[in-house]
Amino acid sequence: MGSELVIKNLHANIEGKPILRGVDLVVRQGEVHALMGPNGSGKSTLANVIMGNPKYEVTDGEIWFKGENILEYTPDRRARMRLFLAFQYPMSIPGVSVANFLRRSLEAVREGNRPLEEGENPSGRMTRRKTIPPGEFRKLLQEKMRLLKVDNSFINRSINDGFSGGERKRAEILQMALLEPEIALMDETDSGLDIDALRIISDSVNAVKGPNLGILLITHYQRILNYITPDFVHVMYNGRIVRSGGKELAQELEEKGYEWLRPEGEETEVTADA
Amino acid sequence: MLNALAPGLSRDAVEELSRQKGEPEWMRQFRLHAWDVYEKTPAPLGRRGDLGTLKTLANFKFQQLRPFVPGQEGALPAAIQQSLEEALVNERSGLIVQHNSSVVHAELSEELKEQGVILTDLDSAVREHPELVQKYFMTECVPAGSSKYTALHAALWSGGFFLYVPDGVEIEAPILAQVWLDASGAAAFSHALIIAGAQSSVRFVEEYTSGVEGAGPTLLSDAIEVYAGGEAQVEFSTLQDLGQNVWNITSKNAIYDKDSSVTFVMAELGSKVSLASIGAGLQGNGSAGELVGVFFTDHDQRYAINSLSDHIGLSTNAETMVKGVLTDQSRVEFDGMIRVRPNAQQTASFLSAHGLLLSKQARAELIPGLEIAANEVSASHGATTGQIDEEQLFYLMVRGIPRPEAERIIVQGFFEPVLQRIPLENLRARLRRSIVRRMSGGYETEADSWIDAQERWEIEGVDEGAVHLDGNPQDEEEIKLTEY
Repeated sequence: MGSELVIKNLHANIEGKPILRGVDLVVRQGEVHALMGPNGSGKSTLANVIMGNPKYEVTDGEIWFKGENILEYTPDRRARMRLFLAFQYPMSIPGVSVANFLRRSLEAVREGNRPLEEGENPSGRMTRRKTIPPGEFRKLLQEKMRLLKVDNSFINRSINDGFSGGERKRAEILQMALLEPEIALMDETDSGLDIDALRIISDSVNAVKGPNLGILLITHYQRILNYITPDFVHVMYNGRIVRSGGKELAQELEEKGYEWLRPEGEETEVTADA
Repeated sequence: MLNALAPGLSRDAVEELSRQKGEPEWMRQFRLHAWDVYEKTPAPLGRRGDLGTLKTLANFKFQQLRPFVPGQEGALPAAIQQSLEEALVNERSGLIVQHNSSVVHAELSEELKEQGVILTDLDSAVREHPELVQKYFMTECVPAGSSKYTALHAALWSGGFFLYVPDGVEIEAPILAQVWLDASGAAAFSHALIIAGAQSSVRFVEEYTSGVEGAGPTLLSDAIEVYAGGEAQVEFSTLQDLGQNVWNITSKNAIYDKDSSVTFVMAELGSKVSLASIGAGLQGNGSAGELVGVFFTDHDQRYAINSLSDHIGLSTNAETMVKGVLTDQSRVEFDGMIRVRPNAQQTASFLSAHGLLLSKQARAELIPGLEIAANEVSASHGATTGQIDEEQLFYLMVRGIPRPEAERIIVQGFFEPVLQRIPLENLRARLRRSIVRRMSGGYETEADSWIDAQERWEIEGVDEGAVHLDGNPQDEEEIKLTEY
């Protein structure tokens, strides 16, 4: 049986303000789920909360992954369980080369699900980690770059530093290909891309897709779903999933917008799409 | 063999030191005059509301110091030998070793001697080249009277060395100086007097280390004076890695003749309290100064660093770039001044200072200053102090990297641009190791792989059929063609 990400009645706040108001969702390895909804409905918040962003406070509910409640796990431990988040706005980290960072990251993810920092070594130093020989890493990275048709010039650059929007998004997909997650959350990977860049990104995602990867594709346009076919479509509204269906739901949303899905008696809240 | 002097700084101690050294009358008078200036001059106390480092230094137990503790003659002490083996320079043209108050070893390649290069301890230079020492020693570059502490240095200097490079001589391999302290309670004085002739070039590397035991007050007072002749090129790198029971006062300055260039690299890691003044006296038209500064403080270390880019001649350039990380309760004050004198037209001057705080108790005050009295000037400065960005940390952690390691990676990235400016490869490597060692997320051997990873990688074969990250450049070209 494949890995399962199970979200039960998830409630979360940012700075005391409720954003998620009871989300239920199951994503399995091999499935592609599209999560749609208007700006401010809580889609990005859900992705961040699943990864454990400390900015958000979980007030109720559970997140289970591979049979473990991961709510108390640090973000790095969740990642080492092979959860992945492709960021909507990937951070730039000047002075750290992509190659250097990716190697560290791959080494860490291969350590698997165990705490690396807490209490293992009283000196505060972490235990020795198995390193990946540069030659082996180079070969692997090369393979993934070929698969995604990525130019090699970017690996010597600093992480996302001076990257265009499209480059950042592609770099995220390359990381996803390299780290081989079991469930990947893709947060508005299509935003800010022109049609050519969208095609390239979609090709990359399709190249990585397979029975070992479950995807939660967060978007508010139906556009990317022309290239990446979802098995399930969910609509989020005011912090809850209000409708789930097959790919035809996305088409319906394209035609009718979101307003008709607004639960009765609820005002539309306009918030920053955090 | 000279005798150690009893604790206490006094006019008598100055007289006794000069007598023991058998100095000529002019040097004796020079010392005594400096002593008078020292006694008359009040200690600098800093500004109201600063972090108080100068006040702390003013309260240092100067009177308990032993003004002269001779180094061990003959074979070099084991600690120095080991330090030489791990030195920053693999191949060198010359070597100077100072142990406590005196220079115990000096060597220079025969080839350079034949070309007229002089590298000697400063005592010998006073005897053998009095005209040069009289003209250049603490007169114009780091004047004896420029502060209370330089006056003290001028009165009680004991070690130090003299380098003279004749016109047109280019020295390939660096010259290495090592200063090693192991006498608790000593006031050690080290001095570098460098005269680089016109069109000469020389690279100098100086390391300050210590193995002082005990809690007695110990001081290293140090001055570096560089005179760069016309079109001369001088590079002077210092690594201060003293133990955290040693106090350090250092003044570094250069005087530039026309079209000369001097690069100072200053890496400050050690000492308990440190006052560093570093300057560039850009008198010669077309001269260029560069200062690259790196610091990393922890525990209760305190630094006060002042830099001055003093533009005097026409069309001079200066670039100052300082970056540092502070942890624990450490404090750093940096004052970086760009001064453009009235006739210094076509000046270009740039200064940046960035501090990264890793603990809530650490404090940094980085202040850039500008005084501009000419009108054709391009000058800019900037200073920032901040903590690690939580969003950056989250990004790295979401890639599986534990928090301590993520912090270390960000710190490495913070330092990397300034490390890239350091010409000496071994110094870059040493600093990377020190940085990793000071970060709790570091593996013992992490620094080496950091260096590996910073190499520029060539991945063969990927280019074939590859598109750029942001679309295919060939497409763009085609679009352009159709536009015309």
